[in-house]
Amino acid sequence: MSAPFFPQFSQTTYLVVSLLLGFFFGFFLERAGFSSAKKLTAQFYFKDFAVLKVMFTAIIVAMLGIAYLATAGWLDMSLVYVPLTFLWPQLAGGLLLGAGFIIGGY
Amino acid sequence: MDSLNIPISPVPLTFEQAEAMARRQIKKHHVAVMLLHWFNAMVWLVELATGAALISSPHFRIAPVWYLGIVQGFFGSRAHMLWFHIAVGITWIVVFAVYGTFGFRTYLAREVLEREIALDWDDLVWLRVRLLRILGRSNEPLPSQGIYNAGQKLFALLVYAVIPIIMITGLVMAFHLMSMFLVAWAVVLHFLAVGLVVSGLMIHVYMGAVFPEEKPAFFSMITGTVNELYAYRHHFKWWKEVKMQERQWKQDMEGTGGSAGPEDGFPAAAETLGLPSDVTQPRRGLGEIVHRVFRTPGYWPPYVAGVGLGLTLLATFILMGEGLGASGGFTRYLGAVIAWVAPHYVNHSSYWSEYAGTGQSPLISFGAFELIGVVMGGFVSGWLAHRLRISVDKGPRVSARSRYALALLGGLLTGYGARLARGCTSGLALSGGAVLSAGAWAFMMAVFAAGFAGAYFVRRYWI
Repeated sequence: MSAPFFPQFSQTTYLVVSLLLGFFFGFFLERAGFSSAKKLTAQFYFKDFAVLKVMFTAIIVAMLGIAYLATAGWLDMSLVYVPLTFLWPQLAGGLLLGAGFIIGGY
Repeated sequence: MDSLNIPISPVPLTFEQAEAMARRQIKKHHVAVMLLHWFNAMVWLVELATGAALISSPHFRIAPVWYLGIVQGFFGSRAHMLWFHIAVGITWIVVFAVYGTFGFRTYLAREVLEREIALDWDDLVWLRVRLLRILGRSNEPLPSQGIYNAGQKLFALLVYAVIPIIMITGLVMAFHLMSMFLVAWAVVLHFLAVGLVVSGLMIHVYMGAVFPEEKPAFFSMITGTVNELYAYRHHFKWWKEVKMQERQWKQDMEGTGGSAGPEDGFPAAAETLGLPSDVTQPRRGLGEIVHRVFRTPGYWPPYVAGVGLGLTLLATFILMGEGLGASGGFTRYLGAVIAWVAPHYVNHSSYWSEYAGTGQSPLISFGAFELIGVVMGGFVSGWLAHRLRISVDKGPRVSARSRYALALLGGLLTGYGARLARGCTSGLALSGGAVLSAGAWAFMMAVFAAGFAGAYFVRRYWI
């Protein structure tokens, strides 16, 4: 049996697991202080780099885990969704989102 | 015996005192202990390297296939490698047996039982304060430690508890002792026991070989000595013990009950030995730790929260085959509303039919349920930390009404940008970043670029 496990889930299991993962996602985001727009925007004024620190720590932890599991043959990467690259729309979308971020405080 | 000049708890040192202490070495390890340590380290290295290569079943394999090939190639065949693994293991058992039998009084009783695994009350306090300090929930000083600190003792306890299991199960597996049923269980126990030690070993090796403050501890395993300053700062109780012994020895030699020599030059601290003030820590239990970690206001240190978030993200990839997201979930809710109001439009729109086409409801999905969980998780976290309140989060120089207008404008841009890029900071930057999607990283750079560039123009709304 190898990961990812979602093909073996019943619909109920699938939704319960989704809910639980979301729970931890929300929990850690709140713990990090991401529920505060002021804290989120503070990084753009070089006051509080918590957003960058949390985000890059999370990326590195997940990336190392995925890399190891995939190399050891435990995680079937053909079943893992890797976002496709559409360079120009993604650059434009990123600029729009970044502008919206600093204006709206998301 | 007079011991006025040996302070009962660490006192600040003058520069000269510290320098003198840094030059003096005190003996920490007997040479037999050091030899056993390095013998043990080599056995672990060899046994882990061959053991990992022995697990070839695709269901339980922990090392990548290419590694198995290299190690097996080195030994010629799997049978040779197995033989080697068993031979080294038996040597290990024999050496430990000889050491334990002939050195029982000198090493096992004195070194292991009295020093390495004897957790005392100070150690429990130390563990509690250490944990809280890592989580940024305390700045209390750590209590003084003996020759090994509480973390080292915990590791030693784990190792001594687990090593006999590894040895016995190894013998059962190697010689097929007893029934096949027991051999099968021995395999499982052998793996689990090794896994337990390895998890502790990672911290042990990191602290010994990488962590700069513990450098003297690493070299003490080669030279047998540590400098006195390190002992004073990290293992104060042990330092005190050594000093008391030295003084006693000196007095015995001089045959006097004479006063303490001034050569140490320590200020006679108000707290001297014998007074009952001996650092009484208020007793607190596990409940206190839980309370401090979860129920006190103030956010977690970013790296701690980041590891939690990263593990959640990793679990999401392992379980669901995709990462965490936010905008996708909102899109599904919107899709459900549009499909309810205008089903005809949805079925003919190439964008919406992907989400809300005929058949499956867009709400029966990972994204939709994950978002419910996010709201619950954030609520519970905020509730635990007494952060729940209704407020308008804004800079001091902007009215609530303008803040609402800006939030709407920002939200429009953010929402459009996220859908244009096929993801937001969570679904694309975070999750795509972790699986090294090129577009995700380009997106992330663009977000930060626009954020930093735009910050100047809206500064009066935030600061």
